[in-house]
Amino acid sequence: MFLHVFTGRLKCLTRDKLMLFWTLLFPVVLGTFFNIAFGNIMNITEEFSPVKVAVVESAGYQQNEAFRQTLDAVSQPGDGQLLIVSVVGGEEADRLLKSGEVDGILEVDGEVRLTVKESGMNQSILKAFLDEYAQKSAAIGKLLRENPQADLSGLLDDMGKESFVNEATLSGAKPDTMLNYFFSLLAMTALYGSFWGLRNSTDIQPNVSALGSRRSVAPTHKMTAVLGDAAASLVLHVAEMLLVLAYLIFVLGISFGNQVGYVLLTCLVGSVTGISFGTFMGCLFQKRDGLKTALLIAVTLFLCFLSGLMMVDIRTYINLYAPVLSYINPAALITDAFYCLYVFESHTRYFLNIGILCGISALFCLGSYLLIRRQKYASI
Amino acid sequence: MVINVQNLVKRYGNLLALDHFSLQIEEGEVFGLLGPNGSGKTTAINCILSLLKYDKGTIEIFGKPMRPDAYSIKQDIGIVMQNVAVFQELSVQENIDYFCGLYVKDRQKRRELVEEAIEFVGLQDFRKFHPKKLSGGLLRRLNIACGIAHKPRLIILDEPTVAVDPQSRNSILEGILKLNQQGATIVYTSHYMEEVEQICSRIVIMDKGKTLATGTKEQLKGMIKGGETLTVELFGLKEEQLEAIRRLPHVTGAEYDGTRLTVHCSGGAHNLIRLLDYLRGQELSFGRVYAEPPTLNDVFLEITGKHLRD
Ligand SMILES: Nc1ncnc2c1ncn2[C@@H]1O[C@H](COP(=O)(O)OP(=O)(O)OP(=O)(O)O)[C@@H](O)[C@H]1O
Ligand SMILES: [Mg+2]
Repeated sequence: MFLHVFTGRLKCLTRDKLMLFWTLLFPVVLGTFFNIAFGNIMNITEEFSPVKVAVVESAGYQQNEAFRQTLDAVSQPGDGQLLIVSVVGGEEADRLLKSGEVDGILEVDGEVRLTVKESGMNQSILKAFLDEYAQKSAAIGKLLRENPQADLSGLLDDMGKESFVNEATLSGAKPDTMLNYFFSLLAMTALYGSFWGLRNSTDIQPNVSALGSRRSVAPTHKMTAVLGDAAASLVLHVAEMLLVLAYLIFVLGISFGNQVGYVLLTCLVGSVTGISFGTFMGCLFQKRDGLKTALLIAVTLFLCFLSGLMMVDIRTYINLYAPVLSYINPAALITDAFYCLYVFESHTRYFLNIGILCGISALFCLGSYLLIRRQKYASI
Repeated sequence: MVINVQNLVKRYGNLLALDHFSLQIEEGEVFGLLGPNGSGKTTAINCILSLLKYDKGTIEIFGKPMRPDAYSIKQDIGIVMQNVAVFQELSVQENIDYFCGLYVKDRQKRRELVEEAIEFVGLQDFRKFHPKKLSGGLLRRLNIACGIAHKPRLIILDEPTVAVDPQSRNSILEGILKLNQQGATIVYTSHYMEEVEQICSRIVIMDKGKTLATGTKEQLKGMIKGGETLTVELFGLKEEQLEAIRRLPHVTGAEYDGTRLTVHCSGGAHNLIRLLDYLRGQELSFGRVYAEPPTLNDVFLEITGKHLRD
């Protein structure tokens, strides 16, 4: 029975031309448009400029031989230079950060702390550098104790240089800025899964559509019907997302980093969030069909706007002034997940995003369930 | 008993849509549920099917209490909704197959059933058509096919023939009788008296959520005092003359549309002669004259008119 519902549903959805346009063609067209608009920026292969950072002069810093050596190693002038370090007093460091002369402040007292003013590629590099250092500091310390003259370059070779410096040089000016549009575009595609969710919830509620009543009087277990529909829409929508992703990567040449498995996971989770969001909206606004769709488009676009789809600076402002928004906005979470995969080696922040997305999806599902149960129709 | 409804009460806010509505339907009947727009027919059916929560009352189908999760009962019910419920993206054949498949798992059997249903409603030439390309009447026929393809024991049809042309309507009505002969119990709602009169073995007349009368059509007609309807073709009848006709003995109502005078009479002899005498006395010349025995229409008018509308 599940299979019958599933295949029937898949047939219907794959023939829904209007929805296919919004969920598949529209992102492709928008992506192409972005690509044309940013084409020039992409072709500039400017030299990557090292990140300026202030280190606060302190006893902790002086005593931390390993860290000093590491900083030395990565700020050697030349091709591989990652940082430009100025060792200054605390107040001076604050001033430099405020005036934008450095991108971050490093303080050492036992552990190393990073202070930044805004978020961007340079800040991300600093963060990633510290993450890497934290992971390798023990090894570096040991090496230095055994052989104070040791050459650290071997250990430092894979200290993020490859993963972001190379990517950064590729697109010179502000790579994160441009890529963010594409990440955000994919987030939009994911959230457009809500159209499928909305359709599902319309076609299953007896008080919303004749089809809903018709299906509710059939001897199909309600759960089978709901899950059959959901599975069909999920399969279709994930397929759509993969098509959009493939288009961005292979046709437009956008890089999503090289962690394919995680990128796919992000698509899957994003798709689940989108579909459950639409289902929830469908249950919340049972009547008023036109309004529902309009509302869905408006809300989705607004969320994407906040995640930087139209203006990348929005994201920076939100991170600065209302960071909590970034943690509850599914579009921002999806965008950030892609961003993390692209920029960071460690997955902490990535999994935080994915975890929150799963939580939000679960809330939408629970909400839909409660709303349907509350309604005056008996059929669930 | 196939359907047993006792004292069903359903409110929409302040509106009392069903007011202690009761209904008993026996196996093998063709049962007509007759009532004007908004009388609560669809509401009653939705309650019976557990699509709607109701405030009070009990509903049993096939002797078992009907509940939203009574899947074994649902298995044996076929339903044709008042509003067309088909998938726009699926063809005629696919739609019927989808709904039939919710009841019948076996593919081979399903193929035969779908084919039978297509022939039943006469959509052979439209198998591959999508609902959007079907005319209103054809769409209605598809709607019917989706509801009855799985050969259920109980078939509920909610105004299935709206917008269907007379020939197709007749063939559908015949088809329904055929389903009944094959053993299905039929519940048929309509506000077309003629249809109900044509096929139903028992009828309930309802209005404002209440049952007004139940019985065979003969019993129902017997309820009114042998009234007949007189029709006279004539021109130039004045308002005061119409009023005078209304005051004639045994006349319960009269309408005039400019060319045709319709007079409803309760029992009593010489109604026609008395009417024609009056018209001659007014020096009105008239064309054809006919008298009809009471129809369900009269029954309906009499019961609803007298007890409720006045
Ligand atoms: N969802 C609803 N909310 C509020 N009132 C409703 C709702 N559905 C029906 N009603 C009201 O309940 C009454 C009965 O409606 P119902 O649809 O059962 O009538 P019906 O006999 O099927 O009429 P029709 O011949 O037009 O199909 C009507 O007065 C209608 O306005
Ligand atoms: Mg109705």
